[in-house]
Amino acid sequence: MPLISLNNLSVTLQKNTILSAINLTLAAGDILGLVGPSGCGKTTLLNTIAGFIAQNQGSIQLNHFGEKRTINAEHGIPPEQRNIGMIFQDYALFPHLTVAKNICFGIAKQTNSAQKAQLNTLLKLLKLDDLADRYPHQLSGGQQQRVAIARALAPKPALLLLDEPFSNIDARLRNDLMIELRSLLKTLKITAIFVTHNKNEVFSFGDKIAVMAEGKILQTGVPAEVCQQPNCWQVADFLQLGAWLPITALSEEALSEEGLVISDFSEHRQTTVSSYHSALGPIKNTLTSPKVLSGNKLVLLVKPQHISLRSQGEKNARVEHVAITEQGYHYQLSSLETKNELAFSTLSFYSDELLSLGENISITVEPTPLLIFNQE
Amino acid sequence: MLISALTSTSDLFLHLWQSVLPHYLLNTVLLAVYVVSLTLVFGVISAGLIVHTNIMGKKILRWLLILPLAMPAYIVAYLYTDLFDYAGPVQRALRSMFNWQSPQDYWFFDIRSLFGAACVISLVLFPYVYLLTRTAFEQQNQNLLRAGRLLGLSPKQNFIKLILPLARPALGISASLVLMETLADFATVQYFAVNTLTTAIYDTWLGYGDLPSANALASVLMLFIFAVVFVEQKARAAQSQQKSMINNQQQVIILSAGQQFSASCCCWFLAIAGFLLPFSLLLVMVFEYSTSAQFFSLLDSALNSLELALYVATIAVLIALVLVLFQRLSRDISKNLPIQISSFGYAIPGTVLAMAMLATFGPVDHSINDIAIYLQLPEPGLILSGTIFALAIALVTRFAAIANGAVSSGMKQIPANLDLAPASLGVNLKTSLAKVHLPLLKSSILGAWLLVFVETMKELPAVLLLRPFNFETLSTQVYQLISDEMLEQGALGAILIVLFGLFPIIWLNSSNAKTDKTTHTSSIANAFSSKKRPQRN
Repeated sequence: MPLISLNNLSVTLQKNTILSAINLTLAAGDILGLVGPSGCGKTTLLNTIAGFIAQNQGSIQLNHFGEKRTINAEHGIPPEQRNIGMIFQDYALFPHLTVAKNICFGIAKQTNSAQKAQLNTLLKLLKLDDLADRYPHQLSGGQQQRVAIARALAPKPALLLLDEPFSNIDARLRNDLMIELRSLLKTLKITAIFVTHNKNEVFSFGDKIAVMAEGKILQTGVPAEVCQQPNCWQVADFLQLGAWLPITALSEEALSEEGLVISDFSEHRQTTVSSYHSALGPIKNTLTSPKVLSGNKLVLLVKPQHISLRSQGEKNARVEHVAITEQGYHYQLSSLETKNELAFSTLSFYSDELLSLGENISITVEPTPLLIFNQE
Repeated sequence: MLISALTSTSDLFLHLWQSVLPHYLLNTVLLAVYVVSLTLVFGVISAGLIVHTNIMGKKILRWLLILPLAMPAYIVAYLYTDLFDYAGPVQRALRSMFNWQSPQDYWFFDIRSLFGAACVISLVLFPYVYLLTRTAFEQQNQNLLRAGRLLGLSPKQNFIKLILPLARPALGISASLVLMETLADFATVQYFAVNTLTTAIYDTWLGYGDLPSANALASVLMLFIFAVVFVEQKARAAQSQQKSMINNQQQVIILSAGQQFSASCCCWFLAIAGFLLPFSLLLVMVFEYSTSAQFFSLLDSALNSLELALYVATIAVLIALVLVLFQRLSRDISKNLPIQISSFGYAIPGTVLAMAMLATFGPVDHSINDIAIYLQLPEPGLILSGTIFALAIALVTRFAAIANGAVSSGMKQIPANLDLAPASLGVNLKTSLAKVHLPLLKSSILGAWLLVFVETMKELPAVLLLRPFNFETLSTQVYQLISDEMLEQGALGAILIVLFGLFPIIWLNSSNAKTDKTTHTSSIANAFSSKKRPQRN
């Protein structure tokens, strides 16, 4: 049974739909990374789960210790009774309380000895032993974050929500902290949802990823799978999986007239398009079960490693920008024909060969797998 | 003033010390304690209800509760004495209703007492606490309150355990503001015949004509003020406040219908008792007693008030500009010092300030006259201490904090890079000040000018002590009429003073939307708090 499931959850604030029909389930112990461009509703979703914003439609189901509770528009549960912890982007440490008092804030109803035991465990676990009597402003950013984590963990929440937990951390420390926090959550078997706009954080911190845009969840899954099989161009675009090459489907007739090699899926010929035209020449469909795609704005996802330089052949691209990187020279390319509907402007690739700015070159593209989307 | 006090040879001070001074001191302390406690109760409760509950009529109460600030306490004192005294309509009605014959038959709250004075002063001063606490509540980091909820607190527990403790700095600042205003109050206690240090200073100087003893008393009062400022700064330094953003998604405590009603009544009571009732009583007086003769006699003093306010506001703003620009552009380590010193004047009660001016300019005047005699020129008289000059200087000193606060908060909104940008474009400092800073400061300068102007119109104690012979301002004339139990004659003047007091409140309320240019009170508070505070991160 999932620990939390959101069914058709919608939130409207001041007549603006912030979340629409969100469906999501999360098993106990899983860490879900919620990504999406700013303003897509990630933080609103967290606040709705925590109980700070009431949903207009749909339900939230919480299953904790075998107790099943349903929250919907008619039947709300106040935040303090949801058994959900949260770590805020600014940590929200109480400035007038010491570290120890901050951590014990949520367990004030327990006996003194129980509080003390829990406090000591957490101080040790989060390496805060020496800081118990300090005030928040006397701590570094990383220490503040650890206090925020300890405070959220003290009441043993069923679910932990983290709002951009690493955004205030020095880039050099960030990775270490993520690994540290992930292993802590795994040790304590805590289910967590965290919000970020940095996809790399999801890869090092999360078990699952959910990509959001404009108040909807576009795709959920294991990070690697989502990267290999994004289900729409927005997901691929947000995750920066590659650049876009505009293409058009060639009709059967056109294919034969131009004498192109037709793909070998003879049984699909009637229903699928097996070859496309682009500014870089024909693109062959190598999929075993090609998707039916219609629309006027088809694009092909092209990663840098799909592009290679040809020593001969017709020139088909111009070098627009050169950068020196650890992987060699990084070139940004545009098509020679710029007014064409198939013109591209953002393809890029790495090469050890030095090309000059504005040089016309010849490239081939061999995308595998073939990821084609409709951008309309 | 201190020198004059220490070198005083008068035995009147000794006599005062042996007889009435301890009593005056006790009165002063008691009055301060009562007023601070009452204003804290009034202010915190009303601010809490307005910000954190779904109280009925929130929108209108929100600004109604500020209005009592425009009411001079001595006018309220007079009106309420009229209303609640033995001979007043309330007690008369009660007597006839219950058939009581004499004061022995029943108990009624005696307004002409120390506690009565404290109540009246609290009714007009509580908006300081209300305003600063409300702003603090509204600017509290919502995430802190959310964290409290997730850690198991109900909204009401949140208020006690988080919201109030987090607002401690605002409570401290507003309490010290109230304390200073209370210590500076003269007319209310004088009217109620409650003897405090301020009334003692006034009586010693004008009654007994003993300047050195008055100076000594003023020095005692000054020590009080120093103590308050010192404690306040200490308390503040021990705390650090988190910079927080304003979040409109405030979670409010939902009150039941009954609770809403009583909460609403509470706030309405404060607004009515502090402003609406006294203001309507004044209006009634105007309609019943006004004559054209009164109007013309008021016109003279009104013109005097205007003239004085014009000078004071203009000088104070010019000085503020110079100080703020110096603070901004100087690379000196002590660049904050001049503005800090000049802002300290607000803490000094008008009475004390007046004594200081007399102590300073009196001897200077005498020397000028001596020189004139020596040069066989006609004696110029008391050209400094006996004219509007000393008065203007005293008021500029007293209200510099307001002008400094308003102008410097405007300056803080100008990004530091705008100081550098003109230079990078090849424009010199003078041009950049004229073309960049001054235009950007325009509204702050206007605001500062207006605030000082209005405060000058309202100021009473310093004017009473320092005004040249036969120089009446609106406030002195109204006060005179009150002392003679004839406010009816001056109701129009009182209304004018209140209306002038309303100006800045309306102006501030409309500019309140801009978050940083908060309020009159906080601009004063800023002036006091310019000492360094530990900053987060």
